[in-house]
Amino acid sequence: MEDEDAAGCAEPCAQCSAVNWGVSDEGRFYCRSCHNVTERTQEVVNPSYTPGVNRVTTLRRRSRTKTHERGRVWMVCEGFQFILKQQADSLLALGVGPHFKDDVLCPLWRLYLQRSRQAYTAHPLRSSQHRVRDSDSDSAAESIRSVTVTDGESNPPSTAGSNADSGSELSGSVDAAFYLTRRRSRGVMSMKKNLALIYLALVWSREALTLSDLLRLVNEGHVPYVDAYEQLPEEMKLTGKDALLFRVKSVPSHRTVHKEAQALTQLLQLPAFPAISSQTLLHPALLSLRYLTEANLPDELHPWVCRLVECAGMADQTLHTFDPVSCPRLPCYDVRAAALIIVTIKVIFGMDDHTECDLCNGVDLHDDSGDGFNLRRWHRLMKVALTRAEQKAEQDIARKRWTTERPVYQNKKEKVCLTKRKRIAEQVQLCFEKLSSCPADVRSASPSSFRFCWGDEDGSDGPSLQHMKLDGLVTLKRDAQTPSNCTYWHPALRPCSRWKCSSHYSEMEALLPRSFVWLLQLFCFLLDVEPHCLYEEVLSVERRLFSSKTPRDRVRRGR
Amino acid sequence: MDDLERELGPLVDLEDDNNSSDDNSTKRQKRNSLFVLNPMCAEASGETGAHQTQTVCLKKIREAMLHHRWQEAAEYMACFPQMLENRSASQHYKELLWRMCTEILHHFPNSTMEDYMNIYERMKHSGVKHYLMICLEHSFHLLLHGRIQDAKQQLTAAESWRYGHESAAQLHRSKLIQAYRSLLDYIVWCDKKATNSENNHLDCNNDDQGMHNYFRQASVNLQEILKNPGIWDPFILSYVDMLEFYEDHEEARNVLNNYAYDSSFPPNPNAHVYLYQYLKRHHAPEKKLMKVLKILHVLVPSHELMLEYSSLLLHSEKQSDIEKALGVLLEMLDFACWRSNLDVWRSLKAVILKLQIQTDWQNAVGKKMADRKDWWPTLHFTSFHASKDSVENPELWEVKASLTKILCPDRNLKYSTEQETNDGEKHQASETLAKKSI
Repeated sequence: MEDEDAAGCAEPCAQCSAVNWGVSDEGRFYCRSCHNVTERTQEVVNPSYTPGVNRVTTLRRRSRTKTHERGRVWMVCEGFQFILKQQADSLLALGVGPHFKDDVLCPLWRLYLQRSRQAYTAHPLRSSQHRVRDSDSDSAAESIRSVTVTDGESNPPSTAGSNADSGSELSGSVDAAFYLTRRRSRGVMSMKKNLALIYLALVWSREALTLSDLLRLVNEGHVPYVDAYEQLPEEMKLTGKDALLFRVKSVPSHRTVHKEAQALTQLLQLPAFPAISSQTLLHPALLSLRYLTEANLPDELHPWVCRLVECAGMADQTLHTFDPVSCPRLPCYDVRAAALIIVTIKVIFGMDDHTECDLCNGVDLHDDSGDGFNLRRWHRLMKVALTRAEQKAEQDIARKRWTTERPVYQNKKEKVCLTKRKRIAEQVQLCFEKLSSCPADVRSASPSSFRFCWGDEDGSDGPSLQHMKLDGLVTLKRDAQTPSNCTYWHPALRPCSRWKCSSHYSEMEALLPRSFVWLLQLFCFLLDVEPHCLYEEVLSVERRLFSSKTPRDRVRRGR
Repeated sequence: MDDLERELGPLVDLEDDNNSSDDNSTKRQKRNSLFVLNPMCAEASGETGAHQTQTVCLKKIREAMLHHRWQEAAEYMACFPQMLENRSASQHYKELLWRMCTEILHHFPNSTMEDYMNIYERMKHSGVKHYLMICLEHSFHLLLHGRIQDAKQQLTAAESWRYGHESAAQLHRSKLIQAYRSLLDYIVWCDKKATNSENNHLDCNNDDQGMHNYFRQASVNLQEILKNPGIWDPFILSYVDMLEFYEDHEEARNVLNNYAYDSSFPPNPNAHVYLYQYLKRHHAPEKKLMKVLKILHVLVPSHELMLEYSSLLLHSEKQSDIEKALGVLLEMLDFACWRSNLDVWRSLKAVILKLQIQTDWQNAVGKKMADRKDWWPTLHFTSFHASKDSVENPELWEVKASLTKILCPDRNLKYSTEQETNDGEKHQASETLAKKSI
C-alpha cells in the first residue's frame, strides 16, 4: 500500500536525486535512500466524509418549542392573537382601563376561536397537513370536508417533522394556505377583523373611545396596524403566503370596520351588551357634549340636543344597546351623536341658506353684551380651522409610511426584486433627508381625542365660543323656551329598501342647501366618515322625530 | 379678534359669488349663503391607502416644484421613494423619480456633486429601460462641471452595456452615446493640442502620441456615426477640425460633401455653411464657392452668407450673374431682419450701379420688382421708416433714398424728410399736372 501511495510522486529527491519515496506514519513523504523528509504530505481522502454532517441537525424533538433555523411552528391564529395583544396593550397605554383587555377582549377572542373551531373545541377545523398530529379520528372526517390547495402538494405525512417542513415551504405559518382558501368564510381572521373585535370589546366595556377615534389612532400609528407583524417574536417567521394575510395596504374605513363588527356579533352569537344608559359616555346625551365642544358650538345647545333625543324617542337605552332580540344592529354611536347635533342645529338655525342669515342679522342688531352666539362668526372661525386641518391631514397622508423595516415577501422572485428597490428607495430617501434636513417620518407627537383646540393659548385653532348664549335665537313662549325659528325643512323621509339602494346622497347633494352640506362635511371630517353615512343617519333621526308612532312601536319594529 | 376679522376680510368677496340655486326674488338674492363650500376631493372608491398616499405625495411635490418651493419639494421627495417598494410600481414611477430628483437637485442651493452622483447611480441601477439615458445625462452633468475624464468614463461604461435583445430605441441611444464619447475624445484632444502648443520646446513626443490616440479613437467612432442620417453638426465640426490639423484634406472634403449632399440626410443648411467655410479657408475657386452658396440660397434666402454670395456674383463678368445678385439681395431684403442693415443696401446699390451700365437695366429691375411692388413700399419706404432712419442711421437713409426711385419708379414714395417731402410733393404735383395737360 505504501508503494501505491508513493508511486504518485515522481520527483527526484533533493539530497540524493533518487526517486524512491515512501510515506511515513504522519503522512509525509520521505526518501528511502537518504531519509529526507519533504514538505509534501499525502492527501487523505476519506470517502465516508460528508460536509455538514457534524452540524447539530439531527437533534429533533417532537415538541413545538424547537428553535430550528426555520423558526417555531406556528399557526395563523396565533399570529393574529399576538397582534391583538399588541393592539390592546397600546390602547391600555393610551388610558383605556385594564378591564377592557383582561375581562372583555380575552374572553371574546377565546369565544371567537371556539366558534370558528380553531381552538377550545373537540372538533377543530384543520387542513390535511397536520391531520396526523391529531390522534382524533374526528379530525380526519373534518379534513375530508375541508378543501385544501396543498392536498396535492404536501408530502405524505409520514412523520411530524416533515409536516412542519412542508408547511414552511409555502409560508412561515403552518396553515396559511388553508386559511387563504377559506378567506371568504366568516370564520377566518384578518387584520380588519382584528380591529372589529377590538371595537366590540370597547363597546362592551363601555369605553368612551368611538370607532372613529380608534381608526384615527390607527392612522396616526399609536395603535400598531401597518407594521403590526413586525412585533411578532423572532421565532415566528413570516414568509410566503403569510404576506397575503398580514401585509396591509390601507387602513379600513369606518363603514368597513362597522360591518365586520356586525358580522362578528352574529358569528360569536353574542348576548345583549351591557346597557348604554344616559350616564354612559357612549350615549348620545353625553357623546354629543363632546362633539359640541369639538365643533366649538356653545354649551347652551346641549340641553336642546337632550330635548331632541327625548322627542325623537331615543332616550331609551334599548335603542343604543346591542341586543340580538331588540336591537340586532350595532349602533354607530359617533355618527348618531353627530346626526343629533346636526338636527338640533337645523331646528334652531334653519340651515336653508336664508333663515340663518336673517337670524344672524337679528342677533347682531340686538346683541348688547357681545355674548350672543353668531353663526356667521362661528362659520368663519371653523372654516379657517377646518381648511388648515384638512391641509395638515393631506400632508400626513402624503407622508405616511406603508413600508416596514422587515417586509414580508410572497416568493423568492418578489424578494429579490423588491429588496433591490428597497435599497434604492432608502438611498434616495437618505439623500433627500440630508438635503432638506428634515426626517421623512413625521409622527404626530401626542395622541388626542380632539382634532381642534379652542381657547386663548398659543397653538389653539381659535377663540372658544362655548360660553356664548343663544339669547337672540330662543324665546320664551308659554313659560317654555322655544327656538325663534319656526320652520324646518327636510328631504323625503320615506326609507328605501335596504337591499335595493344604499344612499341617494350623491343625487340629492346638488339640491341641498349649501350651509347644510357644509355642516355635513364638517362633521364628516371630524369623524372621518363618508358624507352619505352621516346623511342617512340624519334622515333616520328625522324619521323618528316626525313619525307619529309611539316609541315602543318603533322599537318593536326593530329600527 | 380684530386680526381675525381683518384676515378673513377677503372671504366676504367669496361669499358674494356664491348664490343660491333656486330662483328667488331680487331681494332674497341679495342675501347670499352664509356658507361657502370648499370643493372636497372625492376619494376614488377601491383605492388603497398606499395608493392614495402615492397620489397625494406626487401632487404635493408637483405643486411645490411648480411654485419653486424647493425645501418643501425636497421634504416630500424624502417620503416618495417608498412607493418604489410596491410590486406594482411601474417604469413610469422610476422615470418620474429620476427626473424629479434631478430637477430638485438642480435648484436646491446646497446640493453637492456627491448627491448627484448618488442619485444618478441609484437611478441607473433601478431599472433597465432608462439606463442609457441616465448615463448620458450624468455625463452631460459631469461635462458641465468640467470633469471630462469622469464624463468619458461614464460614456465608456454605457457604451459596453447590453441588456437583452437590442431594441430599436436602445440602438438609437447607443449611437448617441457613442457619438458623445467621440466628442469627449475630441475635447480632450483639443486640450492636449492647446497644452502642446504652449510647451512646444519641451519633449512632446509622448503627448503627440496621446493626442494621436484620442484622434484615432474619435475618428473611428465618428466615421461610423456619420454614416447614419441625422443632424450631426457639432460632431462634424470636431471631426473636420481634427482632420484639418492632421492635414487630411481629402477626407475632410469627403465628409463635408457627404454631409451636405447626401439625400438620405435631412436638409440641413448648416451643412452647406460648413462646406463653404472649409472651402473658403482652403482657397477654393470662386465657381465652387458659388455652387455651394447657390444651394444655401435656395434653402435659406435670408442667410447672412448671401451677402458674400452676392459679392461673388458681382465679381463675375456674366450679365446673368449680376441679375442673379440683384435677385439674391432683394430676396434678403424681403425679410424684416435685414431691413436696417447698411451693408445689404450698399451692396444693392453697387449691384444696381453695375447693372445700370447695361442698356435695358430698367427691364431687369422691373422684372425682379414685379412681384414686390405691392408690399415693398410698406416694408421699407414709409414715412415712419424715413423719420426713424434719418435719426438713427443717416447713411442708411441716404442709400435707401437713392434707391427708391429706381426700385419703385411708378410710386410716390414718402421716403424723405419733411422739407423734401413738401418740395417733392410740389415737384410731383407739377409733374402730374404737366402730364395731364399733355
